[in-house]
Parts: sequence; structure tokens; C-alpha cells
Amino acid sequence: MAEFKTAIKENGNVSIINLAGFLDAHTASSLESEFTKLIDSNRYRIVVDFKDLAYISSAGLGVFMAYIEKIRDNNGDIKLSGMSDKVFNIFDLLGFPLLYEIFKSEEEAVNKFKEINSSEK
Amino acid sequence: MIKNSKLQLFLSLIILLAVYKLSFFASDSYTLVLINDTLVIASIWILSLFIMGKIKEKNPAPLSLIVNIGILNAFAFFVITFSDALMSGVFERVDKQNLDPGIISTLVSLIYVLIFFVFLTYVLMSFRELFFYKQTKNMRIYFQTMLVFILLSCLSESVFSGTEFAYIRTTFFVVSIILIVVNSIRISWIAFINKKEKLSLLALSVIISALFIVNLVNSYADGVHGKLLVEFSPALNQFSILMLIYGAAYFSFLFFTTMFHIPTADVYDRKAQEVSSLQYFSKLITEVLDFDDLAETVTDITIKVSSADAAWILMIENGNNKTIAIKNAAYVDVDLINQYLFSSKKINNITDTVIYSIDDFVVRSGLSEKYGGILVSPLRTHNNVKGFLIASRKNELIFYEEDKNAIKTFSDYASVAIENSRLLNESIEKERLEKELDVAREIQKKILPSEVPVLDKLSVSSVFIPAFEVGGDYYDFFETGEDKFSFVIADVSGKGISAAFIMAEVKGIFQTLSRIIDSPKEILIKANQVLRETLSRNSFVSALYGSIDLKKEKLFLARAGHCPVLLVRNSKAIEFKPAGIGLGLSGNEFFARTLEEQEIDLLDKDTIILYTDGITESKNTELNDYGDKRLSEIAIENADKTADFIVKKIINDVTVFSSSHSQYDDITLVILKWKQKII
Repeated sequence: MAEFKTAIKENGNVSIINLAGFLDAHTASSLESEFTKLIDSNRYRIVVDFKDLAYISSAGLGVFMAYIEKIRDNNGDIKLSGMSDKVFNIFDLLGFPLLYEIFKSEEEAVNKFKEINSSEK
Repeated sequence: MIKNSKLQLFLSLIILLAVYKLSFFASDSYTLVLINDTLVIASIWILSLFIMGKIKEKNPAPLSLIVNIGILNAFAFFVITFSDALMSGVFERVDKQNLDPGIISTLVSLIYVLIFFVFLTYVLMSFRELFFYKQTKNMRIYFQTMLVFILLSCLSESVFSGTEFAYIRTTFFVVSIILIVVNSIRISWIAFINKKEKLSLLALSVIISALFIVNLVNSYADGVHGKLLVEFSPALNQFSILMLIYGAAYFSFLFFTTMFHIPTADVYDRKAQEVSSLQYFSKLITEVLDFDDLAETVTDITIKVSSADAAWILMIENGNNKTIAIKNAAYVDVDLINQYLFSSKKINNITDTVIYSIDDFVVRSGLSEKYGGILVSPLRTHNNVKGFLIASRKNELIFYEEDKNAIKTFSDYASVAIENSRLLNESIEKERLEKELDVAREIQKKILPSEVPVLDKLSVSSVFIPAFEVGGDYYDFFETGEDKFSFVIADVSGKGISAAFIMAEVKGIFQTLSRIIDSPKEILIKANQVLRETLSRNSFVSALYGSIDLKKEKLFLARAGHCPVLLVRNSKAIEFKPAGIGLGLSGNEFFARTLEEQEIDLLDKDTIILYTDGITESKNTELNDYGDKRLSEIAIENADKTADFIVKKIINDVTVFSSSHSQYDDITLVILKWKQKII
């Protein structure tokens, strides 16, 4: 299949992973390594932005499941944002909205983390 | 006895010459002198051909030819020097014209002359061989012209000597000398010998050219040797003089040429080494497929072509560094230098070959050998740096630009080698993968029901089209009681053999659970419990379980993350999508809490459509999905037909829609038609 790219940016203590292209069994490993990197550097507040993602397969969905427990055990979370209807339908079918918070935009997802930040203080 | 025809001919000529000499011991007659000279020249000619053949047979190196000339020359020197003392007694009558010198004298002088025959002819033929050795342009004409003039000069010696045409003789002589000088300059083979040989050549050429000059002077001196040759044949004497001049000229030029080559001999040697190594290496690349062997060769040659004392390759694989093919260095030193290169950020982003020197005192003092200069060359394939070729010099020495270029060439070759071995591994991997997929497809085929159940109130039809990579679709039917019929459709995440194994597990779970539990919801909860424990965290299974009570005409439905059920009734498609998370995605408590079960009363002619996302995500050229809308439309259109017909129709439509796009996922379609059994 076509290409898949990830880009990471930081906003305070929130890390944002931007996904672009096709996330499937063949490209899932590159997203896995991004998660591993973030967890290794103790960054557990992660927003995954789907704005530029064209397609996600079941193997792509599996990546989110692989890390969520460890992240939540460390007081963090993965929040999802910017999904197209098509991508959302795939998540929805599997019941992901019950497992993850899904936001319209990246900012909303980041703000949600910030709220938690301020309430902790 | 003597097989060589040229040698036979030569000996015949010599015998003829001996007979002639005995008959006409001295004569002033032009005709007789000419016959004499012609016989001599013919003998030399035949001997030349014989010696040429012998030289060609052995194909000696230039240096051994030179040595041979030197030995013969030294021998000739002694013969000439002692000719006065040894032969004057025998030849006291030589001076006196028109006197028969006697058989013994004639034969002795013949043998003496024969020595010079061989010596001079060997010298000429050696020069011929040297002249053509490694000659790039066709210079044959120069050499042949020279031979012609030498011949003319020899002949004219007897014919015109003492006449008014003496100037012709002189002209031929001068032209011959000019041509000899011209041909002596062409010493192209000198570039192809190594420094050591050049040094010995320098000494040899001085000695040999001196010998030639001495012999030449001696020939002109008023001694027995000169007289004897002139007496025997004026042409032979002339030939002797010309050959000695040729020798003196050639070896003088050789001396100077060699001298000028000495300062650059090292560079020549290294370049020659580089070229031959390159040839050897490029051959090796195509023949040797084992990367480790190639790596050894790369470091080996690196040391040969550059002034490096040590070399090794640092491979970067998945972020890990691995040092291989270390040459002439201790592992601890290599490790220390590698660490130094990384810590000083010298190695991280280089794209070209770079020269460094270890300027960190702490690092230097830690090394067991005094490494100073470091040269790093990246090994790249498709712009990805796969490793580095590193070379080092000891004793405070640094690397220069030539080393850089030479090593760069080899690192480029090494990059190609890495790429080759990678491609090879890839093709092996591909083959393995294909075999694996064959196994996976076989497993899948065995797991799926081989035939559809036949029931009174329900007709069932199904189609499964596997994707090349095995998508992990699974469906099954269970006739668990007299008036109970259950079905399951599932999709395992991932592909290939791992998906096939999960499918097998899933089949086992549902086969067992369908016998003990009635409720679809309870079955899915139990299935989640088992799969949550056994599945790895990044895999899951979407499933839809339905159970039909044939007596009560009710369908019970629970969905764990799978595609919804389509029910076509009265030309309308109703989507049933009870809430539920995919199996294995969450803990059982949460899963159970969020899972719904739906109950549907079945009506006559109801069409129940079960499918996997392989259908709705089938893509056309524009990468648009087939989608559930098209699916329901075509189902509505054909709602009054049999289950088999609707299945065919939908699959047909999906196939036409996605004909230009390869099938990426398994396609599964199951259609249940309530009470429309055409009997």
C-alpha cells in the first residue's frame, strides 16, 4: 500500500503524533516505535491526530491497544482527534469510542489534558 | 635430432659459410664479398627468427630480458677484451691479405663470429620484444623501417666502401642511428613495474649501457676483434656496431627514464594496487553473497590501497552498533575510537567521507596503540546510512586526500555489497513468507465450514474469497438443538499465519461455547474473557454472534466490534448494530457492561446479511470504498430472490466495482433467508 508518515510535536507535557497516509499491517511498526520512544522518555500524555490519515486497518488499530494499559498505569492517556468520517466509522464499529476519548480537533484534545493538569495543581 | 626447422636452416647456412670461407679465404671481388655478406645476413635473419620464437615461447618479463642482455653483454665484453691476447697468435696471418689462414684458423674465427651472431641477434630480438611490450599505439612501422635501414647500412658497407658512392653508405648509417635513437625513446613498459624492480633496473641500466659503450669502443679500437669481424664480413661488423650503438642508446635512455620514474614509483605502485584490487573486488561482489566475507575483504583492501594501519566496519542495524571485520587493531581500541566518534558527534550526520584526527587527550591516552588519523566513510544504500567504513593511522600520522578518494571508492563498493546481501535476504524472506501464507490459507480453508447447513425454515448461502495475505475472516454455523440455529462471523486483526492461528483458536472457542451457552451476549463475554488472556495486546477479534430460535421465529444478536447485520424486509434495509467492543480489546467487566443483545422477530422472506469489512472496504480505482450503501441497495433490489442468487449478485457487484484494485482483505458474505425455501 501507499506511504505512511508520523510526525511528533510537543505542547507542554502533551505529545502530539500526527499521522498521514495509510496505517496498516505493514506500516504499523513505525507508529509502534513512536509510542515506544515517547514511553521510554516518560511522556504519557499523548494526542494522536488523524487529520491526514487516509486509511487505517485492523492492525493499525491494534497499535493503540498495545500501549494504552502502560500509559494509563502511568497516569497518562491516548486521546484521538481529527478523524475523518471513514476513519471514525472503523473506530466506531470496533467500539473504540467506549475505550478512548475522541475529539474533533487536536486543540480540544490537548486542552483536555491541560484541564487535568490545572486540576492536579 | 634437431626438430626446429629454423635452427636446421641456420646450421646449414653456417656450414655453407664455413665451406665458402675455406674455399674463398679472401677476395677483393665485389661479387664474392656480396655473396659472403648475403650468406651472413641470411644466417642472422634465420637466427633472429629462431631466437624470436624462443623468446615468444617463454614470454619473459622485461626485466629478465634486460638481465639476459646484461649477461651476454658481459660475456661479449670478456671475449672482446681477451681477443687480442688469446687470438693474436692464431690470427697473425689475418693482417696479411690473400693468404690462406688455414682450416683451424678459419674454423676458430667462425666459432668466434658465431658467438657474436648469437649475442647481437639476441640483443636485437630482445629490443624488438621490449619495443612491442605494452605498446598502446601501433609502432610496427618505426621498428620495421629501422630494420630496413640497418640492413641497407650493412649491405652498403661492403658494396660502396672505398668507392665514390661512400656517401650512400654514410647516409644509411646515419639514418639507421637516428631511427635507433627514436626507437630507444619508446620505453612504455617501465610504468608497469613496481618500485623495487625500478630500483634494480636503474642499477642494471647503468652497468649495461656502460658495457655496450665499452664494447663499442673496443670494436673500433685497432684490435683483433674489429679486424676479425671486418675480415669475416664487413656487413657483420657494421651490424655489430649498430647493435652496440642501439644497446648504448637504449640503456642510456632506460637509465634516465627509470630515474624520472623513481620519485613517483610509490604512487604508481599504489594506483596499480588500487586498480587490481578494484577489479578483484568488483568480481568478488558478484560472486560472494555472504556479507561477512565481503566485509573482511573491504577492510583488507582498505589497508592495501590507503596508508591506513587499521580498518574496520561499523554497522548500524535497528539503532544498534556492531563492529565487524576488524583488521590490525585491538577490539578495545576500536571500541574506544567508535565511542569517541559518536560522543564527539563526528559520525552522526556525515554524508561523505571525512578525515579526522583524535584530538582528545583522554581518548588518546586510553588507546593501546597510538592512533592519530581517522577516516570515516559512510556506507549508504538508498540514502540511508547503514554503517561506516573506518580506517586509522598510527603514530600521529594523518590521512590525506588520496587516501580519502581511494577509501571512498571502496566504501561505495561495500555499500553495493550491503544492498546485494539485503536484496538476497529479502528474496529469501519473501519466499519464506509465501510458504507461510500457503500454510495460513490451508489452515483457513480447514477452519471454515465446508458446506452450508440445510434447514426447513432457513436457506443459507455463503461465499468466502481469501486475500493473498490471508485476512483472518472466519464464519461458522452451529445446529445446537432441534429448533436452534446459531451463526458467527468474525475477523481477526492482522494477517498471515498469526491471523490463521488466532482463527483456529476462535473457532475452538465458539464451537465449545455454542454447545453450552444459548445467549449470544454470554457467549461473546466468555469469548472475550478467553481471548483477553491469550491474545497479544495489539491483536483483537471482531465478531458477531447470532442465534435463531426456529420455533419462536426470533433472532438474538450480539456484536463485538464487527460490521452490523443488514436485514432486508419489505424493500427496506435495516441495520442492526448493537453496542459492543471488539474481543480482546478490554477487560471483561468493561466488555460485559458495554455489550448489548438485540432480539428481532423474524418475518417471512426476511433476508439477513452478514459480512466482513472486506466487502464494504473493497476499493475502486479512485480508492473509494464499496460501502454499506451499495450493499444494501443491491440487497433490496434482489430481496425476492434466493439466498444463493443474492450472494452471487452482491459478489458480482463487488468484483466489478473493485476490478481494477487488488483484493487486500478477505471477503466473507453470508446470507440467511427466512422461510423462503423453494421446494
